[in-house]
Amino acid sequence: MTRITIDPITRLEGHGKIEIFLNEQGNVENCYLQIPELRGFEVFCLGRPAEEMPRLTDRICGVCPEAHHMAAAKALDALYHVDPPSPAKKLRELLYSAFYVTDHTTHFYALGGPDFVVGPDAPTAERNILGVIAKVGLEIGGQVIACRKRNHEVIKMIGGRAIHPVTALPGGMAHPITEEQRQQILEIARQNVEFAQFTIQLFHDVVLANSGYVDLIVSQGYTQKTYYMGLVDENNHVNFYDGKVRVVDPEGKEFIKYAPGEYIQHIAEHVEPWTYLKFPYLKKVGWKGFVDGKDSGIYMATPLSRLNAADGMATPLAQAEYEKMYETLGGKPVHHTLAIHWARVIELQYAAERMLQLAEDPEITSTNIRAIPTAIPTEGVGIVEAPRGTLTHHYKTDEKGLLTEVNLVVGTTNNNAPMYISVKKAAQALIHDGQVNDGILNRIEMAFRSYDPCMSCATHSLPGQMPLELIVRDVTGALVHHLSQYVQPELLESVK
Amino acid sequence: MAKTLLVGLGNPILTDDAIGWRVVEQTRDHFELGDVDIQLVCVGGLSLAELMIGYKRVIIVDSIITKRHLPGTVYHLALCSLPETLNSSSAHDTNLTTALEALRRFNAPLPDNDAIEFVAVEALDVWTFGESCTPDVAASIPTAAERVWSLLQS
Repeated sequence: MTRITIDPITRLEGHGKIEIFLNEQGNVENCYLQIPELRGFEVFCLGRPAEEMPRLTDRICGVCPEAHHMAAAKALDALYHVDPPSPAKKLRELLYSAFYVTDHTTHFYALGGPDFVVGPDAPTAERNILGVIAKVGLEIGGQVIACRKRNHEVIKMIGGRAIHPVTALPGGMAHPITEEQRQQILEIARQNVEFAQFTIQLFHDVVLANSGYVDLIVSQGYTQKTYYMGLVDENNHVNFYDGKVRVVDPEGKEFIKYAPGEYIQHIAEHVEPWTYLKFPYLKKVGWKGFVDGKDSGIYMATPLSRLNAADGMATPLAQAEYEKMYETLGGKPVHHTLAIHWARVIELQYAAERMLQLAEDPEITSTNIRAIPTAIPTEGVGIVEAPRGTLTHHYKTDEKGLLTEVNLVVGTTNNNAPMYISVKKAAQALIHDGQVNDGILNRIEMAFRSYDPCMSCATHSLPGQMPLELIVRDVTGALVHHLSQYVQPELLESVK
Repeated sequence: MAKTLLVGLGNPILTDDAIGWRVVEQTRDHFELGDVDIQLVCVGGLSLAELMIGYKRVIIVDSIITKRHLPGTVYHLALCSLPETLNSSSAHDTNLTTALEALRRFNAPLPDNDAIEFVAVEALDVWTFGESCTPDVAASIPTAAERVWSLLQS
């Protein structure tokens, strides 16, 4: 049997590894996806005051601290039996919308977009933000940077810091915003709406206008039929900050809908001996192995899943594009994993419009932003939609508010099994007769990258971003091919 | 704004990944830094590059895993001597060198590449949550801080 190792995965931090095993004919026999997991967070938290969690959990991840901050604050609301005043909830959602705008913008232009804008077969060195700039022009690249900058200002304004916000507290927020700040946010939100419209148009011009890309998106190698999960509001519209978790089956019918506190009744986790990361699944369906379909409890929690799980978007421009996507791709639900990129730009539009709605709301400058907790804390669950999937925080405390149990189900963990299936399907569709090259490997990675998985992204140790390492072995185990761009340790001069 | 930025990079609650913070804190507490701005952050890629806007010189203190030297070994690295696999990349956008190049194309006032330096400490455990570094890595803090101080004097 021939063994191919993609280790670690290009452009994804941490020690993720894809191993592909070929049979005698050189076709894919099996494959394994291994994603590392940081250890000991629950133990680290035990015995600490629960109110530390919004500031502690946003240290888990350097990329989406806002998501952990919000999920933790909502878990504390439940834990302390306190309902934040309406302006506080709106202020949290406003911050969260600004975060979504910058996060989805960055992914589209810097990580996922290069595969389409520059091309899946372009040299690795060109498939990055510089390649995108070269293709779409300097002015557009400048807009991406400006978009990040202005939304970081909003996050800092409301969250107290541009990175790792600190203002969400049990029962509300630490400080309100002024009318002057509201006016600034209003202008930024308007710019975001325009920028999102532009991005959607770019997606149409670059991706959808290219029949080759559309064929790639709908090809079987990038298609799998699972259950889909996402937070929805009272109208079953997508909501990133609040609501109930709705799960639809592979035919698009509502399967379950639950409040955050009920998650434990619906979600279980499967363990495999070859990876630390667990595989969540729907309890009512059960774990049936790494297979898709209605009889398998595997579910997906991505931007596309959120759109599949909802009946629509709560804002007009996003709704119009939502309808366009389903019309183009053959109705709901869409099972093509590369369509996650389209869903992501629709969500960018929604986040921008929602931000504008909230900035226009007269209540947003209210100083009634905190309900002081008075009840004895017990147990609380908070759920938000992180950009990479549904994020659940579950805490239990003693009567003094010291943590006795902590459980987090993060976005990437939800998608562990679907990612495994996606990589295997792509590999099976692309590798034949032992023929492997850089373009094929990148297309396999595209199946994985569309999820934008967070692989222990809190770790920043040099050399944090690992390059692609490809190892091919023949049936005897002998090395026949090795591609590597690994760090050359001889370049490192010790001074001690 | 000061001309020099000193960055402690890493996750402060992830055992040895906190070494960047600890070294910068020691440098700040034991030496008179003068006109130097300090940032303790856990970011990479574009976000890290954006922090450097407006500075003439940047020194980044971070952990590194080469497995070629013992934990606690201190390195001095120039940005231009590092391969593209430079750590301070983000899983969700790009690596630092690409991010800097992208920002320069928009005329962002950034330090030259040879004015961006790294002091890195060989780490042992960057996967377990904890507020203390492992013993050998913790023991290297004074050496690394002196190295940072010496660079700031040069």
